[in-house]
This record gives sequence, structure tokens and C-alpha cells, in this order.
Amino acid sequence: MIKVKNLKRVYVMGKVEVRALKGVSFDIEKGEFVGIIGPSGSGKSTLLHQLGLLDTPTSGEIMIAGVDVIGLSEHEKTIFRLNRLGYVFQEYAILPELTAVENVYLPSMMIGKKRERYLKTSIDILETVGLGERLYHRPHELSGGEQQRVAVARALVNKPKILFADEPCANLDTESSRHILELFKKLNEELGQTILMVSHEEWHKKYVDRIIYLKDGLIEKM
Amino acid sequence: MFKNLKVSLFLACKSIKRGNIGTTILTVMIMSLIFVNLIFLPSIVNGIGETIIQQSIDCVYGNLIIEPKEDNLYINNVNSIQKKLNSLPGVVGTSARYVTGATFTHKSKFVSGAVHSMNPTDEEAVTIFHKGLIAGEYLSKEDTDEILLGVEITGKEGVEGEEADLGGVTVGDKITITFSNGVIREYRLKGIFDISVMSINSYAFITEKEMESVLGLENKASEILVKVSQRGTEEEFKKKFMELGISDDIKTWKEKLVGVMESILGSFSLITFISTIISLIMAVVVIFIIIYINTVNKRKQIGILKAIGINQKVIIHSYVMQALFYCFSGIVIGSILLWFLVSYMVANPISFPMGDVSPLVEQQLIVTSMVSLIIVSLVAGFIPSWKTARENILKAIWG
Ligand SMILES: Nc1ncnc2c1ncn2[C@@H]1O[C@H](COP(=O)(O)OP(=O)(O)O)[C@@H](O)[C@H]1O
Ligand SMILES: [Mg+2]
Repeated sequence: MIKVKNLKRVYVMGKVEVRALKGVSFDIEKGEFVGIIGPSGSGKSTLLHQLGLLDTPTSGEIMIAGVDVIGLSEHEKTIFRLNRLGYVFQEYAILPELTAVENVYLPSMMIGKKRERYLKTSIDILETVGLGERLYHRPHELSGGEQQRVAVARALVNKPKILFADEPCANLDTESSRHILELFKKLNEELGQTILMVSHEEWHKKYVDRIIYLKDGLIEKM
Repeated sequence: MFKNLKVSLFLACKSIKRGNIGTTILTVMIMSLIFVNLIFLPSIVNGIGETIIQQSIDCVYGNLIIEPKEDNLYINNVNSIQKKLNSLPGVVGTSARYVTGATFTHKSKFVSGAVHSMNPTDEEAVTIFHKGLIAGEYLSKEDTDEILLGVEITGKEGVEGEEADLGGVTVGDKITITFSNGVIREYRLKGIFDISVMSINSYAFITEKEMESVLGLENKASEILVKVSQRGTEEEFKKKFMELGISDDIKTWKEKLVGVMESILGSFSLITFISTIISLIMAVVVIFIIIYINTVNKRKQIGILKAIGINQKVIIHSYVMQALFYCFSGIVIGSILLWFLVSYMVANPISFPMGDVSPLVEQQLIVTSMVSLIIVSLVAGFIPSWKTARENILKAIWG
């Protein structure tokens, strides 16, 4: 599903170069739930940004579902993100002017699905993540955990090939964190959803199939 | 394409509906005032022009004026010319006048000016002096020793100024006139008129019969005013008059007014132009600032939209739609404000030296104002959102 080869990302800030990824290679198979663990500053987010097509690597290769994504134009990347990828940010990056259900169906609307269809799909997903009672609430009326679940639902609405999650539980209490992780586990087991999740909490390990350890921009072990 | 517009519209609607109501109201208010501003001043200038035109037609030239050919002092065979003209369908009336220089004297006061003659019934069909009487009566055909004076000549009692007037003579007072040919006669002031236009209020009228006896002439005139039933048809009548074999100089009010209007309206048009430009710049700045603040505040949201795969164009269009919403609402509210303002001013005109003026709103002006405001909104809505939406996603989300 994902093939990463010798991926490097160097940030140039004036005369200072920050080598956030120093050559990372790994494969992820379809249906895997993979965790990326590493200390702060080890390049976890940078890695996920490259895979999520939110940033362009300095060198290396990324193949997602058979597509060499680095070669895509900005416009093609946008379409690729919309159709194939789901992304959950560390903070609850949902739109404050939209209700929960509107936030979820927006990517579906963008694809051009019919209203009845995307409305039904979105409501179903929100029910799956346990927000069936909160469909028409605005983000400011939701708790952090609930907002993050809306973000997860939104990431799933277009049935992505891969779901990326960058420390999705960083701002949540243990209870909400467990809720999200169990949701991921369920999605992975029941729907075969491929998931790549960044985490730095030891107790998250038990939810994933496999772990990639990052340190100083390199894979320490797999 | 269509689905993209649908998403843009969706985002724009939610943003307006759930955004800050205060900002929306303020923006729409400002836009409406800009719209009013774009239309109001030019309409006043139009109104001034219209007043000058109407007063000139009503008092000075009629719709058309016939004057002696070059080198001639008078038009000849006036009776037959008038008869011919009056027989034409669409001609409402004709008035032949003699005009001669004169000095008006009352006690120690004197004023120099001109005396017009009139055939009262003819004049009534063409001009509005009979409607402007503020004291006394209008002339009758057979009057010989009576005179009609404008309020600028009679002056007002107690108002002692530098103006040349007779210091407030009243109906019944005796006025001595020295005509330019040397004849001196005494007249009783029969009526005073006030047409609210300074230059026209300096007119003086005696009857045609009396004027012919003073000048020793008959069946001649210095000018013939013609009133037609519909303004705007003057050129056709000019042709018809020429076809009737009138060899004297025929001019429409337009031809007579060209110079005057250009000099008066010319200076106004610069003011109008400057005010229009300022209004438009104001509109650009206001919309620009609002959309700019809006997009800067929503940088993170724009980043998120892009991250989840919303097309840049869709995002930009949603902001342009918001700008257009402000623009259209401003135009609607502005039109309502304008309607009230214009209605009020039509009922209560402003006094200008050239007469009472109400704004005259031309359709053309409304259309150009709308179009320029829309273009301005498009540009001012586009640039800030385009700049923000072009930004790197990660930068937009995390600053
Ligand atoms: N936009 C950026 N510009 C410069 N340096 C960056 C940028 N983003 C991340 N870095 C640096 O790259 C390294 C890896 O960062 P990151 O991937 O965010 O780490 P993690 O997510 O594992 O905490 C850090 O040293 C960080 O300071
Ligand atoms: Mg990170």
C-alpha cells in the first residue's frame, strides 16, 4: 500500500539546515495498523506530512497505492488527498462555522456525491464514532474528544485507502484517548482500514499491529 | 465546475450566516453608503442642469426661439409667422417679444436693464411668469401705462443692500423708464413676480401695444418663443419650421444653452468625477480590509480546507461570493436609502441661485455605479483570498 524509499526532508532556515528526515525506508501493507513512535523532534510529524502530501520531501520516493505521489502537481495532490487519503491532525482541525455533520460531509460534497448519499454516509460514520446525538452541534459546543472524533469521521467519509493520524490523542484525556484508539482498532479489524498513527504514549502500543521507531530522523527499529 | 461552485456557495453561506453578524451589518452599511455616495452628488448636479434647462425653457427661450437673421435688428411679418407656427400640430403656443435696453427709476433709485414686451395671452401659453406673481396682477392686452417687474428689480423693502434695485417698490408705485431710443415714460407697477431664479427675476414686461408705440414699430419682434408639447422633439420642429419657409434664425433651447451648460456643469463634472473616484477607492479599501481580515483570521481554516482536499479555486470563490454578497446587499439597502433621500428632496428641493434643485437620478448612472461596485468587490474579494489560499498548507495551519 505504501512504499517509502530513502526519504529525506531538510528544512533550510537561512544558513541553518535542519535535517528532519535523514533517509527513511519502509513498506506498509494493505490492512495494517502501524504505529510510529519516537521522542519529540524525531521527525514523526514531518514523515506523516510527506506521506499525507502536505509537504514535499527533499529527496526519496513515496508510492501510495501504486502512485508515485511526489511527481504529482499541486492540483493532482489536492485531488489525491480528497479521494484517497484521510488525515487527522494533532489538534482538532475542524471548521468552526460548520456543524459536526457538515464538517464530515464537506469532502464528500467536494467529490460531487448526491446530497442524500453523503448525508446518510456522514450520519452513519458519526454514529459509528459515537456522535449520533451531536450531528448538528457546532465545534464550540463539543468537547475536545468529540471534536477529534468529528475529525476522524471527516477523514473517513470518502473511504480513504489510508488513514493518517498525527498524535490524535495528544490533547485528550485518557478516557477520550481510549475511545479514539478503540475506534481505530475497530475500523482496522472490521473494515480492514489501513492506518498509520503517530504516538508517543507507551500504552498506545497494544492497539497497533506493528511499530516503527523513529529517532533523530532515522528508523531506529521496526 | 458546477459542484465546485456548489461547495463555494455552501462555504460562503455558512460563513456569512454563522460569522460575526456585527461585521456583516457594518460592511453592508458601509457598502450601501458608498453606493448612495456614488449616485447622490452626480444626481444633484444633474438636478442643477435640469433646473437650468427647465427654467430656460419656461422663461427665456421656450423650446425653440426664433431670432432675427444676422445684421437684422428685428424679425419681420411676425403676425403671419406666428399664425403659421401656431397651425402646426404639437405647437402649444408662440410669444413674440420686443427687447430693448432701459433704465428704471423710482425716486432717487435707478436700475439699468432690459424691458421685454409681451402679448399677455400669447406669453401665458409659453412661459410661466403668470404663475410666479407674488403681488398685483398680470398685464392685460390693452394696458399702456402698466409694468410687470421681477423681484430683483423691485427689491424688497427694508433690505438695504449693494444690489441694484429700486429699494422695495410696491404695486401702484410709479416707475419711470428711459428707453434706449431716448423715450421716457412713466408706468404704474401692476405686478411683481418671483421665479426663484436670479437672472429671470430681473426681467421687466410691458405690453406689446405699448412697446410698439415706444419704438414706433409694428408687426416686428426681437424674438419669438415657441412652446411645443413634448421636450425632446425640438429638432423635428426646427426642420418643420424651416420647411414652412421661415428664414430667420431658429435655435433649440439646447443650442442656446450649450455654452452656459458647459461652463456651469463642466466645473461640477470635475467635482463629481473626484467624488466618484473617492467613493470607489473607499469601496475597494473597505471590502479589501474586510476580506483581508476575514481571510487572515481564517488562515488556519483555509489550510485545513486545503489539507482535506478542497480545491484552491473553491476556497477563493467562496470569499469572492462573500464579497459579492456584501456588494449586492449594499446595493439593495443603498437603493432604499437613496429612494427615501430622493423622495424627500423632490418634496423639499434645495434653493440654488439658478432655482430650486432636486436630485435627478439617471438610469445610466445607477447601472454604472452598480457595475463599478461589483467589479470593485470582485477584485477586492479576490486578491486577499487568492494570496491566503496560495500559501503553504502547513504554514497556514501552524503559522
Ligand atoms: N517547518 C519547519 N521548519 C524548520 N524546522 C522544522 C519544521 N518542521 C519541523 N522542523 C524540525 O524538524 C524536526 C522534526 O520535527 P517533527 O517532525 O515535528 O518532530 P515530531 O513530530 O517527531 O515531534 C525538529 O527538529 C523540528 O524542529
Ligand atoms: Mg509531531
